[in-house]
Amino acid sequence: MITVTRLTRRFGNFTAVDDVSFRLERGEVVGFLGPNGAGKTTTMRMLTGFLPPSSGSIEIAGFDAFRQSMETRRRIGYLPEGVPLYREHRVEEMLAFQARLHRLEKRRIPARIAEVLERVGLAERARSVIGNLSKGQRQRVGLAVAMLPDPEVLILDEPTSGLDPLQRLEVRRLIHDLAQERTVLVSSHILPEIEAVCPRVIILDRGRIAADGTQDELVAELGGAAFVRLEAVVGPEVESAVRALESLPGVTAVHDRGALGIHRCFDVLAHEDVREDVGALAAVRGWALRELSWRKPTLEKLFARIALGFEPEAESKEKPRTRGETEPSGSDPASAPTFPLLAVQLGAAAPAPPAAPTTPSTPAPPSTPAVQRQVKTLNPFEIGGGGSDAPRPATPGECEENDG
Amino acid sequence: MRGFWTIYRRELSGLFLLPLAWILFCLTQFYNAFFFLHFVKDQTGGEVLSAMSLLMGGTWPYWFLMMFLPPLLTMRMISEESRSGMLEFLLTAPVGDASVVVGKALAASTFMGLIWLSFPLYGLVTSVLGAAPDWGAVATGWLGSLLVSAFFCAIGIVTSALCSTPLLAAFLAVVINVVIVVLPLLGSAAPGIPTRRFDFLIEKIDVTAHFQGSFQSGALDTGHVLFFVIWIAALLFLAVRLVESRRWI
Repeated sequence: MITVTRLTRRFGNFTAVDDVSFRLERGEVVGFLGPNGAGKTTTMRMLTGFLPPSSGSIEIAGFDAFRQSMETRRRIGYLPEGVPLYREHRVEEMLAFQARLHRLEKRRIPARIAEVLERVGLAERARSVIGNLSKGQRQRVGLAVAMLPDPEVLILDEPTSGLDPLQRLEVRRLIHDLAQERTVLVSSHILPEIEAVCPRVIILDRGRIAADGTQDELVAELGGAAFVRLEAVVGPEVESAVRALESLPGVTAVHDRGALGIHRCFDVLAHEDVREDVGALAAVRGWALRELSWRKPTLEKLFARIALGFEPEAESKEKPRTRGETEPSGSDPASAPTFPLLAVQLGAAAPAPPAAPTTPSTPAPPSTPAVQRQVKTLNPFEIGGGGSDAPRPATPGECEENDG
Repeated sequence: MRGFWTIYRRELSGLFLLPLAWILFCLTQFYNAFFFLHFVKDQTGGEVLSAMSLLMGGTWPYWFLMMFLPPLLTMRMISEESRSGMLEFLLTAPVGDASVVVGKALAASTFMGLIWLSFPLYGLVTSVLGAAPDWGAVATGWLGSLLVSAFFCAIGIVTSALCSTPLLAAFLAVVINVVIVVLPLLGSAAPGIPTRRFDFLIEKIDVTAHFQGSFQSGALDTGHVLFFVIWIAALLFLAVRLVESRRWI
């Protein structure tokens, strides 16, 4: 559907998009990911024919996006960044304008407008003036405008920026619906969006493609292996605990991530989910469990690594550098389970650990709640994990600080 | 010119949905009415015909409006849409750049045409009161005003495409308009200045003379019509190129 070949765009001396090539098949949903200024918008503008490329070519549905611009424009629904709309018009007027621009059949226009508004959930706001709508509603009007001519390709530039979480969810669901029939290219710098909506991801960094593939591929290729996180009271014999864990079938390595109050944190690397085995072991040994979870490296880790300029290959082989202070935390908590994709996986695939709750043989000392609370308050800051000496493949930033 | 009509309709309705257009419309009606009364009562001694002629381009109030109104109408059309991203929407829609520019310019000209409808209105009123105007002169006057408006609107569109903010666009357009209107008067106003050498140049852009020479007196001269049509086409062509050049920056 879309074939981009060696696309380059320069603004003066600055190269915004540098030798980018990719292919989108019909019906594919692709997320365009990258930090601000990575060239996402510029690439999209070239795809839509707004900017001509400095070199390279774009083919959309068999037409050259530059030379046969009208043909490609008719096939593209484009939601530019910032959702430009005529605020003084009513919703239905704006849609009628778009319909006339795309030369829809006159008698079909009212029905089509009603259909599209129904789809974005604004049917009862058709007569509202766009300027009076909330930002989320305007965003949905923008989506309605983009999909009104029923285009084969939808290009959405940051469709969820500036929305509250609920609106985001709505827009995400809408994109998901749209994706059933069309080729969709969505850009975002917000990872959960992309994780939730797009099976395939293209990561741009400084104008170049840093990674291209399905999420699982990318994570597997660049992000290192998944592992089981175990946090339990194991008593003083840490060495024997590690050895016991290592002896479990399928386990390739066990990393001691240090003590957390009375608890001890381990990463158990295995080819598959060995939570049940680990849980059984804990039950046998009488460890008081606090956490037993299956952790997959997320797209966010990968993205941070690329965006921050770490070489993924080198990174995965050596121990994590002091990443704690550079990793983006802030608004999006860095810990994995907050991601919808992962949350779903965790929620669905993780039954309560079989032997999880405490055995009476190891009563928690009275200070435990205080310790836990302390750890919890530390949580937002402890993205580092740099204190660990154990060589760990590429999943930094999850365990709590080792030594307080 | 795909989609020209769509853009034109959108722009015109957009103008009427904003308060600025209504304010300008209202003020100019008062303005024209005031000067019409003034001309009839004080300047021509009750002669409606010559008062009409004065009002329709005969003297400064008319040119004053022509210098200042079109820039106010056109200033936002490209500069602001470029900022808000609307231009990106339009230029990625399946319409040509020329349609966008021409549609906008003609929408502004149409609005000016509505403002100048006050001439025929005065004609109607005076004919009801017993002094029929020269309808031919009124018709050509209105038509000529439309062309002059389109000319100044085209200048406004060019500056709007050139500047990044509406205010700057309006200012630049007003400056250009004032120069165009005042330059031909320089020779008569200041006899000391040797303008003769530039006369042939000034002639080429002397909007006032071209208007007064034909439309105002009720003569429809193709030469003068052509003068305006060519200028408007050239200016709009320039504006289209400027909009296109935004893609290359």
